[in-house]
Amino acid sequence: MISTEIFNILLLVAATLIFARVLGFLFFKIKQPAVIGEIVAGIFLGGIIVVVFSGQKFDLFSFMITLPNLSFHTPEFELLAEVGILFLLFISGLEISISKLKKTGKSSTYVAVGGVIMPLILGFLSGILFGFSIHESIIIGLILTATSVGVTVRTLMDLNVLDTDVGSTILGGAVIDDVIGIILFAFLLSVGSIMDAVWIGIRIAIFFLIFLYLGLKFIDKILDIGEKIHLPKAFLSISLSILLIYSYFADNAGISGIIGAFIAGILIGQNVRAKKIKDDVKTIGYGFFIPIFFVWIGSSLWEGAEADLSSYTSILAFAIIIIIVSIIGKLIGCGIGSKFSGMSNKESLQVGIGMVPRMELALIISAAAISRGIITGQVAHTILLTTILLTIVTTLITPFLIKATFKNN
Amino acid sequence: MKKGGKLISDFYELKVEQLMDKRVWDLPLIEEKEDMDHVLSILGGRNHIWVVKDKENKELVGVITEHDVLSILAPKHFPSYVFGIPDVRSIQHGTAKTAGDVMAQKVITCRPDEKIIDALMKMVKYKLRRLPVIKDKTIIGELTLHQLIRKYYGATQYHPILEDEEG
Repeated sequence: MISTEIFNILLLVAATLIFARVLGFLFFKIKQPAVIGEIVAGIFLGGIIVVVFSGQKFDLFSFMITLPNLSFHTPEFELLAEVGILFLLFISGLEISISKLKKTGKSSTYVAVGGVIMPLILGFLSGILFGFSIHESIIIGLILTATSVGVTVRTLMDLNVLDTDVGSTILGGAVIDDVIGIILFAFLLSVGSIMDAVWIGIRIAIFFLIFLYLGLKFIDKILDIGEKIHLPKAFLSISLSILLIYSYFADNAGISGIIGAFIAGILIGQNVRAKKIKDDVKTIGYGFFIPIFFVWIGSSLWEGAEADLSSYTSILAFAIIIIIVSIIGKLIGCGIGSKFSGMSNKESLQVGIGMVPRMELALIISAAAISRGIITGQVAHTILLTTILLTIVTTLITPFLIKATFKNN
Repeated sequence: MKKGGKLISDFYELKVEQLMDKRVWDLPLIEEKEDMDHVLSILGGRNHIWVVKDKENKELVGVITEHDVLSILAPKHFPSYVFGIPDVRSIQHGTAKTAGDVMAQKVITCRPDEKIIDALMKMVKYKLRRLPVIKDKTIIGELTLHQLIRKYYGATQYHPILEDEEG
């Protein structure tokens, strides 16, 4: 017997998908990333639900109408959103080609390393300054590490400068800083002491070694089985199983399930059949789970909405500082990196600006830190809100900044 | 009908090397490092190119089809919903320069001692019209759907499958 509760959740899922796609499309039309539209969709929908769908009853021409009681914060809905996170990392992994990663130049590596260290330190210090604990401050630093290069690439393309040293350095750097960001996240997420750090470092190394190395050896054989099963989309089923199993083992090894999803993606991405699998995975991910994740993130703006207005002003102050720090961190970190690899001052500035946008990993890191209970209560609310503002603001201003620095070229 | 059944099952049992195009000198080959102009010039006459490390020992490293070129020739439609690293190869933006940039790296191949039925199944499974025939990583010929159709049709017209075009 399926309960009414479930249908309430399914109704919310339907509303989520519709809002996500409508607002995503509107943002696309005004030449902004669709993802921001989906987050905004979450903010809207979350608001509507708090105001309207919290189980009120009212009288209409003597008919008693009961509005369904909807909530984004049921375990069932959160499960869907968290699967969305796994899909996001799985797809990011699928897009990484190991052979290309090996080819990325020195400059990209310097830029990536500088662009991770600086924001991490600055974010951590701002956290401490605002009175957060060490653990919470580490999370704040981590949120600032990984670049989301989509909007930069599009702007560079519009300006016809993708095929420059700056363009290729940014592209390469963004791949590496994703990888570093994810590993650091896994590492710092569970560190409590120095002994811990060593032990977790070993676990991550073992995990990468066993699951990536052995995986690469056996993946062909495993996918061959898929070929023998003459059932529709057997490859996809096997790939998804690998994704889920890897996430399980990564989580069990204490290094966060998202690493498992990422490694599973890298692994399957190297296979001959990757192209077909990618398309199918994207169909499911982009069509269902990932928009749910972004809307869910947007909706969490209303969580703890009872809190008084003054708390919002202090959150806003913190968010402004974090946004400034995130931009300065990349400018200095990536700038030093590119200077180090022999670029001119102007080029270094351009690279730094190109690396400013943050999106999916920042959101994933704060969502994962919350669901693992590392940050809770009002702190979680503050950090999540800050992250949402950070992603929106950095993504929106980067095109203008890039255009400004390329103006005199 | 019965005769047809016998014919097709004989056809399936043949080895790839018995039906493949062995004229290696005539295969559309290009070196990985050669530039886009060369790729386009070959594709003007053929609909695919096998990419080799160098033309001396012909180690196969990739394949370029018309479809691969479509994605770099057409204006880059950059999806608004993308995570990870987007594919930025494009002629318009100068980000596709050599054969190696455009090629598909993972090539489905067949061996000379494979049966035709297995080669056909690969074509179905991976939606391909042609397979390079590989021996010790080196390309020694190709098997195209076009050839297979011609050979099979010839056989239905009372020509022995193998003697057709053998000389």
